[in-house]
Amino acid sequence: MVRSLWSGATGMNAQQTNVDTIANNLANVNSVGYKAQVAQFKSLLYQNLQSVTTTANGDPKPTTSQVGLGVRTASINQIFRQGSLLDADSDTAFAIEGEGFFALRGEDGDIFYTRNGDFTWALGVNNRLTLTNSDGLPVLDTNGRAIVVGAGMMASNLSITEDGQICYPDELNNPQPIGIQIGTFQFNNPSGLRRVGDTLFVVTDASGRALNETTTPDVDRSRIIQGYLEGSNVQVANEMVNLIVAQRAYEMNSKSITTSDSMLEVANNLKR
Amino acid sequence: MLKGLYTAYTGMLNEQHRMDVLTNNLANATTNGFKKEGTTSQAFDTVLAYKIKDLSEPGNLPRPLATNRAIDQDEVNNPLNEDYLERRVRKTGLNLGVKIGENYVDYSEGPIKETGNELDLALTDKGFFAIEYTNKRDETTTMYTRDGNFSMDRQGFLKTQDGDYVLDDANRRIRLDPALPVSINRNGEIVQDGTVAATINVVDFEDYNYLERFGENYFTAIEGATRIEKDDMETDTQIHAGYLEMANISVVTEMVNMIALQRQYESNQKVITTYDDTLEQAVNQNGKLG
Repeated sequence: MVRSLWSGATGMNAQQTNVDTIANNLANVNSVGYKAQVAQFKSLLYQNLQSVTTTANGDPKPTTSQVGLGVRTASINQIFRQGSLLDADSDTAFAIEGEGFFALRGEDGDIFYTRNGDFTWALGVNNRLTLTNSDGLPVLDTNGRAIVVGAGMMASNLSITEDGQICYPDELNNPQPIGIQIGTFQFNNPSGLRRVGDTLFVVTDASGRALNETTTPDVDRSRIIQGYLEGSNVQVANEMVNLIVAQRAYEMNSKSITTSDSMLEVANNLKR
Repeated sequence: MLKGLYTAYTGMLNEQHRMDVLTNNLANATTNGFKKEGTTSQAFDTVLAYKIKDLSEPGNLPRPLATNRAIDQDEVNNPLNEDYLERRVRKTGLNLGVKIGENYVDYSEGPIKETGNELDLALTDKGFFAIEYTNKRDETTTMYTRDGNFSMDRQGFLKTQDGDYVLDDANRRIRLDPALPVSINRNGEIVQDGTVAATINVVDFEDYNYLERFGENYFTAIEGATRIEKDDMETDTQIHAGYLEMANISVVTEMVNMIALQRQYESNQKVITTYDDTLEQAVNQNGKLG
């Protein structure tokens, strides 16, 4: 019946999605390794209101008179900008500087990727230490295997170099690599990664398969920095401004709806 | 019956159409690269209304309503002059309402928002990005947009969020090396590993009246449009990477317009109800006895 009612409704829906996205970003402002998202919108299709139009001078215009039918959410993009590195007291806190992701193996064998390097040594089979994340998922090395160090190694003595080599001190107390390297992986199109919660991502057709940084030529290697965590890359000031815009846009659209409504009321009052 | 009744009706209809256009502006308040639309109202083609059988006028010619001016003598002498009717209509005719005159797009630049995403591009000054769009029937056309919210797929193609290809200055799809970092300079040159991998096309049009809105933030060029290629453009259009152009609507203008059109709608309604009252008087009261 009335286009403006539905156009206004699409606008409110779109702004609702916008606020949802912003709220999730703000909620995760302290989540380690969180990557901000941003909703993008596109106009809906156009209809012809009137096929012949003329300019103010009475000359015919080449285009018809068109009216748009509102807006839709085009995409919710992920922003993979580097978050700030936060000092962490833990020796098993790792931050990635660069494009890479850590890989984790889920309980049913799925591989997850994350920028959250808040790991811990867990005591596994035969009293050997395994590097896991805080939920107990093992971190994978460059060969895609869980990182399990030799028997008898003490967690407090293990250290990690910038390229992810795990070192253990020799007799002279000099750290020596033990031949296990924490894996880092990149994606052709990280925006295509799917989020599964817990700041974990999984591979999709859109992202392309994971590229192992040690075996893929041409990729810029990431650095692993021990004792730091990558903070969320949410920029609070930006989000607040976006929130203001979203809220006001929501109000504007509701005004469109109430105005359309009162116009309908006026029309209804024609017949007494 | 009463002409004014239908005139007021066209007024209400017209305000409704203006409301549709205005609502679409507000719904797209946060759409990238959206250009505000507006409508002008136009009087219906004027209609000559005659007083018939009025013998008091010289020459016994029919005389248009809505004028007290006597008819020119030469018009009386040459009643079959072809221009006569037309001139009469233009000078003195009644018009019976209002319609949408034209629907225009305000192509002024919207505010630029920083996003920090290297593949978000904003154009300063005039111009459009060229997009290769393929519809469901596999017909490929070129679309134009100011929305530079692009992304790279895993094969390295530069695409819009809907998967349509962004075109380079030779109207080819842009394919980059996805493993390498991308930087885009002001001229639209995409630099990877120190070399220019592709140049993003920016085109303009001589007359924006030949652009039709497609939806999806796209414009299509219709027959008669003259495209100006990048090298021939007079304006100094630059591409800014990491920024997006937002919608150019102004909330104040839209709100004021909304108030105005709502009240105009109501006044037209009042006209109709007044006519209704008049008719009621005529029908029910005049014949009443005692």
